[in-house]
Amino acid sequence: MDRQEQIDFILDHFENPRHKGAMPDADAAVEGGNPGCGDIVTMYLKVDPQTGRAEVTFEGTGCTISQASASYLSEHASGKTVENILALDYNDLMDALGREIVQQRTRCATLSLDTLRAAIHKRERELMVKADS
Amino acid sequence: MTNSTVPQTTRSLDVRAIRADFPILNQVVHGKPLSFLDSAASSQKPLAVIEAMSAYYRTTHANVHRGVYTLSERATELYEGARKRIARFIGAKSSREIIFTRNTTESINLVAQAWGRANLKPGGEILLTELEHHSNIVPWQLIAKETGARVRYLPVDGQGILNLDGLDALLTERTRIVSFTQMSNMLGTITPVTAIVQRAKAVGAVTLIDGAQGVPHLPTNVQDLGCDFLAFSGHKMLGPTGIGVLYGRRELLEAMPPFMSGGDMIRRVTYESAEWNELPWKFEAGTPAIAEGIGLGAAVDYLSGLGMDAVRAHERDITAYALERLAEVPSVSIYGPTDPDVRGGVATFNLGRVHPHDVAAVLDSQGVAIRAGHHCAMPLHEKFGLTATSRASFYVYTLPEEIDRLVDALYTAKSIYAR
Repeated sequence: MDRQEQIDFILDHFENPRHKGAMPDADAAVEGGNPGCGDIVTMYLKVDPQTGRAEVTFEGTGCTISQASASYLSEHASGKTVENILALDYNDLMDALGREIVQQRTRCATLSLDTLRAAIHKRERELMVKADS
Repeated sequence: MTNSTVPQTTRSLDVRAIRADFPILNQVVHGKPLSFLDSAASSQKPLAVIEAMSAYYRTTHANVHRGVYTLSERATELYEGARKRIARFIGAKSSREIIFTRNTTESINLVAQAWGRANLKPGGEILLTELEHHSNIVPWQLIAKETGARVRYLPVDGQGILNLDGLDALLTERTRIVSFTQMSNMLGTITPVTAIVQRAKAVGAVTLIDGAQGVPHLPTNVQDLGCDFLAFSGHKMLGPTGIGVLYGRRELLEAMPPFMSGGDMIRRVTYESAEWNELPWKFEAGTPAIAEGIGLGAAVDYLSGLGMDAVRAHERDITAYALERLAEVPSVSIYGPTDPDVRGGVATFNLGRVHPHDVAAVLDSQGVAIRAGHHCAMPLHEKFGLTATSRASFYVYTLPEEIDRLVDALYTAKSIYAR
């Protein structure tokens, strides 16, 4: 994709967000934010116990890059296993969003991934607590 | 657009000549000439400041207040000479009333800790305003928690102008200190300092002025203002980072315990106890920022050379022009006072529902540098129902054509976001 196509890709996710909305029966929901700029995303995670596949949605407000990133990630991570999601790193997200566009705002770009990881760890902790009791 | 009011440079300052003193401004960013519109965050430095610091390091550096040798004496002379010029710049009676700190934040913390701990008790009140920067809120919240005192706020109206009608109800014999900004960093509101100080004095309260935005841009004389303390930063007034000032009235400073302790702030130390040095060194523990102090002295000389009345007149004109041009852009909302006579060189706005960081990123691609975010004034943003804003801010080197570039870049942002 050239620069303009990459901008269009981000704007499309921002204006027509995928998987946006609260998930009332989520296994875990975690809110993350960049206090410097006021970007906020809440990532919702549910894992199908039969297939091990995740369903991911988000809610949030903030700049184009933070919200487009959350939309892209929710779409991209849904249907994957938790292990596959944990294997995603910043570089995958930066490449998907367009490194040239987001390189000066990596915190906005990676907020969704950090928050989704936190949701995965929260779910795991809760499963362990359940198993203990 | 009414071209009649468009200044060529401005009436008051020869901005093109001034810009020759600021080499950093003469550069290209993303293929466009740099328009630096973020001086409220930190100003650029003239050659006079850069060269004063460089010459000091090349020819004169040694630790101050120590030496019996020539170099140390010369360094001390330069450093203390800067203190004297800064004292004159703000009309202090004596340079002993000028304490060097790191910045405004440290100056306010010094008062909150050293004065606050000795003077605040349960039932006592600290009066701030809703305009304040975090650095004039959080130090008071901390000392209030520690001492049992209570923090109260003088409200602002919809334009961010202080509502003085509420002042009498808030100012009582319980009010121990009134600490407020000379000029809002978010909205540019210039506050009626003298009026508030007089009324605070009438109930026996001590007054601290946060001059971080005021001192660099407005003629400021502590005798005229009548305040007890004035805090400001070097880096916002053409000086270097790492140096700030606390002006304090001598009687108050004499009565206060030290803030930080160590070398240089003592007269005599035994293994059991210590006697404090005299003012201002009582409040300056450790080796100070010598080159930065000298740099700030040069900055003050530069501003004095321009004349602070001319600086203010220039910024008033530039601000009026910016508010007028921004108002032409459809879907731009402007925040803060509409009257440039009570507004410093700050234009705060939003472009429709486009996030300020997105606005700033597009502007950057056009060479225009502005600040986006909450500008360390989260409570004030919340008050206006905002999470973030864009802020363009101006100084002695700002040209009207830079405002034009800002407006052009906003149209670029609109074309990207309002498809």
